[in-house]
Amino acid sequence: MSAHPPHKPNVLELFLAALGSPFVIVGEQFREIFKVFGLTVQYALHGRRRWKEVWLQAYRIGNESLVFIVCVAGSLGVTLVYQAGLQAERIIGDLTPLGGLYLQILLREFGPTITALMISTRVGTGIAAEIGSMVVTEQVDALQMSGAHPVEYLVVPRFWASVVMVFCLTCVSVLVSWLAGLLTALLAFGVSPYTFATLSFVIPGDVILLLMKTTAYGIAIPIVAGASGLSAHGGSEGVGWATTQSVVNCSLAVLFLDVLLSGFGYLVLLR
Amino acid sequence: MRLTSVLSVPFAMVGRRTLDIATEMGGMTLMAGAILRRLFPPRVDGAELMRNLYNVGVKSFPIILVTGVFVGAIMVIQAGLYVEKYEATGFIGWGAGFATLREVSPIMIALMFNGRVGAKNTAEIGTMKVTEQVDALRTLAIDPVSYLIMPRFIAMVVMMTLLVVVGDATALIGGAFTSQFLLGVDVQLFFRSFVDLIHLEDFLLGVYKAITFGIAVGVVSCHFGITVTGGAVGVGRAVNDSVVASAIWIFVLNYVVTTLII
Amino acid sequence: MSAASKQVTHVEVPRDGVRIRCQGVSKYYRRTAVLDAVDLEVRDGTMLGLIGPGAAGKSLLVKIICGLVAPDEGHVFIDDIDVTRLRERELQALRMRLGMVFQNYALFDFMNVGENIALPLRMEGRSSETSIRNRVAEVLEQVALPGIQDKMPRELSGGMKKRVSFVRAVVRRPPIVIYDDPTGGLDPVTSAKIFRLLSDMKAQGTTSITISHDLDGIRPLCDQWLLIEHGKTLFSGDTSAIDQCETPYVRQFWRGEPA
Repeated sequence: MSAHPPHKPNVLELFLAALGSPFVIVGEQFREIFKVFGLTVQYALHGRRRWKEVWLQAYRIGNESLVFIVCVAGSLGVTLVYQAGLQAERIIGDLTPLGGLYLQILLREFGPTITALMISTRVGTGIAAEIGSMVVTEQVDALQMSGAHPVEYLVVPRFWASVVMVFCLTCVSVLVSWLAGLLTALLAFGVSPYTFATLSFVIPGDVILLLMKTTAYGIAIPIVAGASGLSAHGGSEGVGWATTQSVVNCSLAVLFLDVLLSGFGYLVLLR
Repeated sequence: MRLTSVLSVPFAMVGRRTLDIATEMGGMTLMAGAILRRLFPPRVDGAELMRNLYNVGVKSFPIILVTGVFVGAIMVIQAGLYVEKYEATGFIGWGAGFATLREVSPIMIALMFNGRVGAKNTAEIGTMKVTEQVDALRTLAIDPVSYLIMPRFIAMVVMMTLLVVVGDATALIGGAFTSQFLLGVDVQLFFRSFVDLIHLEDFLLGVYKAITFGIAVGVVSCHFGITVTGGAVGVGRAVNDSVVASAIWIFVLNYVVTTLII
Repeated sequence: MSAASKQVTHVEVPRDGVRIRCQGVSKYYRRTAVLDAVDLEVRDGTMLGLIGPGAAGKSLLVKIICGLVAPDEGHVFIDDIDVTRLRERELQALRMRLGMVFQNYALFDFMNVGENIALPLRMEGRSSETSIRNRVAEVLEQVALPGIQDKMPRELSGGMKKRVSFVRAVVRRPPIVIYDDPTGGLDPVTSAKIFRLLSDMKAQGTTSITISHDLDGIRPLCDQWLLIEHGKTLFSGDTSAIDQCETPYVRQFWRGEPA
């Protein structure tokens, strides 16, 4: 291992290394995420149940992100309805289907996905920062020495809490966006709330798709964030790296699952 | 006595939150002021600027490409459902393109940019702060704002704008492919409706949004980075606060720009 | 419980009396060896002093011994059980007989002192809540920190944190304890208190490894010494051997002479 003289790479080798290294890095992260995923499922099904901790984490997720999500959902609702209303006025000249279609697209797409992206930002970074700081201050090692597995002790409660809370927060977010849209339609275009508030466009497939999306996001966020946190190393730089990694990976995971599930919905559910 | 103390809890909470928010808002305003002062005339370290342009722009490129393709695919799938229902395949390029250019692409790219660049920026400046490197700069009579923050801020604004353009383009390509393979709508038809019905202002609205998002992410991430205290734990917390504050700004500015320009 | 984990939970001192044994442990970081074929043996009831300059790989070596880091080559045996071959569940069972005091305390900052100390007992799952509470109070009393259960770690001074970390490591009465720099950053008076605790533990028959830069403090405690630098073993042997060792670097390090 030690006797080799240092080898100076030539241009071709450097090029190939530069070409391959992103794949190596991405592959390593995938492996880490799936390892944590496997362990989480295993411990979630067979490990100790710590419902008190789950409750605490659920409270923290809700408490941390409620105001944030209300702000985002509100401003998003206003903007979307305003833009859609202008287009509808210009092209169709009829604003009656606005409310129903808006609710439908909210349930199918913007409600769950934007909420999940916000939770990735708020909760995902929080989980990664917390677990990452525990790794670099040796608390995770101490946990293992105490006989607890870090995934079981740290990720599993957050996993259960997130599965439930992503759904709850999505409901809140849909409601707030819809109300904001309703007010916008009323104030900007004079659409009566009675016309706006209609369920006529919503089909059962929309609700099933919403449930599938929120569950998938709820599972993905704590696992991806936990994997980022657990792979932190070094001092405060390591924590920063883990947090950054977590936002990006969680958001990409959400978008990827969204493409997958929307495609599934298009092909199967919403015909 | 006990009852009053229980009753005061929510007020105390609201008050504390308000004070926290006011402190951060004040900090961000000061940061924006400090940046503005150094823009006229520009006082920036040239080499640092180039390095940051590379770090911010080139290194985010792959993520923006992936995000763009995802966004395009999602929008086409969503638009496809309506297009099929009303048998208006000719409008798919417009339907998907309109929403993508004006709303979804700038927001999604900005959120990814916030995660990739904003968070990293806070983490880097924060690490320099807690390891006393910022103080070291000061003792060497180097202005931390000119040296550390200005190049990053300029790089973020410039690159955010350019990356939204890149994101728009990849989203359209991703959307066109999705419509070809999933919906069976020809790529030509997709782009024809896009070219016919989309105006330059739809694209420009997204670009204007991107500029304001870049400014917001720049100011917010630098502010939270430079005010970190408390070691590794503090850095993690600051990154968390920074991405959340930036995300709120992104959505609020999205609303403001949309209503101002239309 | 599988046969393997039963074997792991069953405590028996090996016949040759060697409780910790490393054979050719190596760890590489990007092709450079951070640990290069390190061997060590610690007999029952003795203390090994692990010394060397900063970043020599000492902390890494003890983490490998506890199974927290997997070595790239070599084997670690604790009571004749090969740590490097255990699965996570079996490692958890094995760690029940290990205690570790971490360099930077590693107290859980989201728990108060009492919960910090109670966690190893809870994970063991053998004691009732009342007996856990009593045991926590008892051990805190032993280190002269009575009644601080409800404090959070951030409210404690460095010396108190070290003692709490020490108590958390030994609360399960493990037969093997590893001290990673137990007196780092402490004033001489507090250091003396910690060394007294170490010597008490040794008197009770614990087997231990101590990493320390305070050679004067651990000289009377340790029976065996291992000096490593850049992952390579420079000296291994008992106190009289290191006293007589003629290798210039070892002499210099041992006596604290300037180069």
